Amino acid sequence: MTGLAALADTTTGPGTDILSAVAVVAPRGRDDAVARQLLAKDGIATVSAPTLTTLSDLIAQHVGAVLITEEALNSAGAQELAHVLTSQAAWSDVPFIVLANGTSRDRSERATQKIDTLSNAVLLSRPLHAEELIRAVRSALAARVRQHEARKQLEELQWRERQLFESEAKFQAIANSVDQMIWSTLPDGYHDYYNNRWYEFTGVPQGSTDGESWNGVFHPDDQARAWDLWSHSLTTGEIYEIEYRLRHHSGDYRWVLGRAQPVLDRSGTILRWYGSCTDIHEIKVAQEQRQLMLGEMNHRVKNTLAMVNVMVSQTLRLADNLPDAQSALQSRIAMMAQAHDRLIAASWAEAQMPAVVDAALAPHRTGESRFIIDGPEVEVGSKQALAVTMALHELSTNAAKYGALSNNAGKVLIRWGVADDTFTFTWEETGGPPVDAPTRRGFGSRMIEQALASYFHGNVELSFKPKGLCFTLNAPMSGLL
Amino acid sequence: MHAKDTKRPAVLIVEDEPLLRMDAVDMIQDAGFKTYDAPSADAAIEIIGSHDDIGILFTDIDMPGSMDGLKLAEYVRAGWPSVKILIASGVIGVGDEEMPEGSKFYAKPYATSLIIDDLRTLIAQDETNSRL
Repeated sequence: MTGLAALADTTTGPGTDILSAVAVVAPRGRDDAVARQLLAKDGIATVSAPTLTTLSDLIAQHVGAVLITEEALNSAGAQELAHVLTSQAAWSDVPFIVLANGTSRDRSERATQKIDTLSNAVLLSRPLHAEELIRAVRSALAARVRQHEARKQLEELQWRERQLFESEAKFQAIANSVDQMIWSTLPDGYHDYYNNRWYEFTGVPQGSTDGESWNGVFHPDDQARAWDLWSHSLTTGEIYEIEYRLRHHSGDYRWVLGRAQPVLDRSGTILRWYGSCTDIHEIKVAQEQRQLMLGEMNHRVKNTLAMVNVMVSQTLRLADNLPDAQSALQSRIAMMAQAHDRLIAASWAEAQMPAVVDAALAPHRTGESRFIIDGPEVEVGSKQALAVTMALHELSTNAAKYGALSNNAGKVLIRWGVADDTFTFTWEETGGPPVDAPTRRGFGSRMIEQALASYFHGNVELSFKPKGLCFTLNAPMSGLL
Repeated sequence: MHAKDTKRPAVLIVEDEPLLRMDAVDMIQDAGFKTYDAPSADAAIEIIGSHDDIGILFTDIDMPGSMDGLKLAEYVRAGWPSVKILIASGVIGVGDEEMPEGSKFYAKPYATSLIIDDLRTLIAQDETNSRL
């Protein structure tokens, strides 16, 4: 507060509160002293303002009230005073008590004008009446106090408004920065808020999903279910949680997880619902794929078991005794297991020709170069690879028991190739003991003649020549995969 | 060993997997039936159309081609209503409403004895009916 030290007076001690003091503007004669003495007797603080300029300073400092003589209004500094009065803050309207000379009848027009410029003034006539003066001053100061109270309340409200604004800004920043769709509704379920993520995801115009129109951006098959569940939550206050498909701005529907919970007041009444939607589409798709894969796996296992069933059935039909049956069955199942290993390694897709043959013959090799293998790289499908493996297993087992591998000199020549869109595969035994055509067709020969041919959509010739067993498969290239 | 009754109906076996088809043929022949076999529904329809001694259809469900086993069963029931139908499959969850009335279902891998018993029962019923 500038100039306060200069204005400190003998009537008022240091530290006078300008806000509750009266500025006395009565420069003529003893008016000032008399007025101040009167007020001081009643405990009212005063400050002398010998000029209008001094008064303007005091008004700028929000002096409590002004006691001014009529003639003082005419003195120098009137313009400055007028300016300071109009520049007051909105809450401030400093009250004036004017000590008038005579009545309005006696007053000059100029003097009347001067009094009129004060919007907040009362007139007291002279000579001063002590009680009138005191009451007028007290009334003015009381009004001034209420102006300050109004100011404080206004400032409080402004502060609260700022807090609210900042809080709202903070909420918006949080709500729009998280990677979630966020929404909120009134207690009756009326949706009135969605964050930016919602609009980015759905691409719908702002406000178009307010109220109950949110149901329309759900997948048609999910709408009824979602509506029922939401209604249930609204009535019971239970947490709302549901997986459903939401229409993405691209036009596709994506799986989302919707969740909401209510905010309650102290008596347990629901004030608002706050909810979120999480995009779970990738997860859902992965789950579905896993289910498919499990189903696929189950299917393959069932097929394999069906094959094993055939092995069992066929082996037991033709077995002479149980020990023979057991060893034949076990070697067949082992062969199938190895064939499956290779198929898994090739992702159950295709297998290559030399590799299939090598693997099938591996258990039968004796390290004495009895097998001569010759043929190019050819791709065959998984079923065909398995069939070839089975056939080679049967042929090798047979050759070891009765054929070219049952003595020291016999050899097996295995050849394959492609010519004119035809795939040819041959197995020729030489140097083994003399061969007679068997009286009974074993599983091996039946498997080769019927099943193998069928797998390749081709034909098979199995002949028991005197020099040794000979097997030829002819198939169109289309039958290989 | 198994005297074939000339009045006994033949069985048409439809299965696309060659080894399974071979084994099913063996199983049913061992029970004393004459068999025909086909790797697909299309081939099966050709056979049943050109042979009038077929009285039983034994079919898988999963097959390549224009029809699966269930559709084949429907087709045969419609065109040859007296043919008995047995359906085998590795696929579970086939509803009763999808199978023709009176047909029987076997989950794969199936127990041979079960099928043979049912086949024999069917024959016995037929013989009883024809005597009435």
